[in-house]
Amino acid sequence: MSGFRRSGASGVTLRLEQVENAVLQNLVEQLQQMLGELPKGDPGLAELGISESTEAPADPALARLFPDGYSGDDDASGEFRRYTETTLKDGKEKDARVVLDTLAFDRRIELDADQAQSWLRALNDLRLALGTRLEITEENHARFAELAVDDPAYAMFVTYDWLTQLQDSLIHCLWRE
Amino acid sequence: MTTAPVELNRPDVGEEVRPDLPWLTIVWNDPINLMSYVTYVFQSVFGFAREKAEKLMMDVHHKGRAVVDSGTREEMERNVEVLHSYGLWATVKRDD
Repeated sequence: MSGFRRSGASGVTLRLEQVENAVLQNLVEQLQQMLGELPKGDPGLAELGISESTEAPADPALARLFPDGYSGDDDASGEFRRYTETTLKDGKEKDARVVLDTLAFDRRIELDADQAQSWLRALNDLRLALGTRLEITEENHARFAELAVDDPAYAMFVTYDWLTQLQDSLIHCLWRE
Repeated sequence: MTTAPVELNRPDVGEEVRPDLPWLTIVWNDPINLMSYVTYVFQSVFGFAREKAEKLMMDVHHKGRAVVDSGTREEMERNVEVLHSYGLWATVKRDD
């Protein structure tokens, strides 16, 4: 089980096994695909950071990555979404690219402070997407930990759990603990 | 506390003195975001000390949601946009 380590004043390093590298690459590519499913809208407006989406995405995982800005106020939420969704998506795409560009298994991954932030947010996006697909709640988390190896959700939960430990190790590095 | 007449003691009201600001940034509990991560995000986004960030995180965790900031509507929308970029479940609300 690998984890992040501190490096220098603000950097971090990580060593991944070949299989971990492959899993992470695959997950980030799936995330990129999901992000590509958001409505494109008018290209001119998109350039100004304005989208045509005023409703939350139908896919629950995508909806979790792009939540409403207001609770119980559809009009305000819709307007907020129009003005923020494109920027939010651009940020997530950039973070995903940083992870793919820095991923490696044949050498130590070295990240500067900005790259570490991208990894932190991208790992969280992956956990949000996987956790939503698994329908994880605070009550059923223990049940998932006891899944049989041949349960269809087993591999997804093991991956989720691995991402959790990876992200937590990164946070503790960023705290310089 | 002073009992002196308000009219006489009120300081010059400059730009930095802000009237009642009725908008809030709310963060909701969710089963996926790590407690360590939420604490870290509160520190990064609001510049809170670790202890204050942890206390707020525990408020969110135990009460289901917590107010993390108040100010103008524009400021709260900006907060929520940043919190969404970190994957926190945050909303803007008018104070009532």
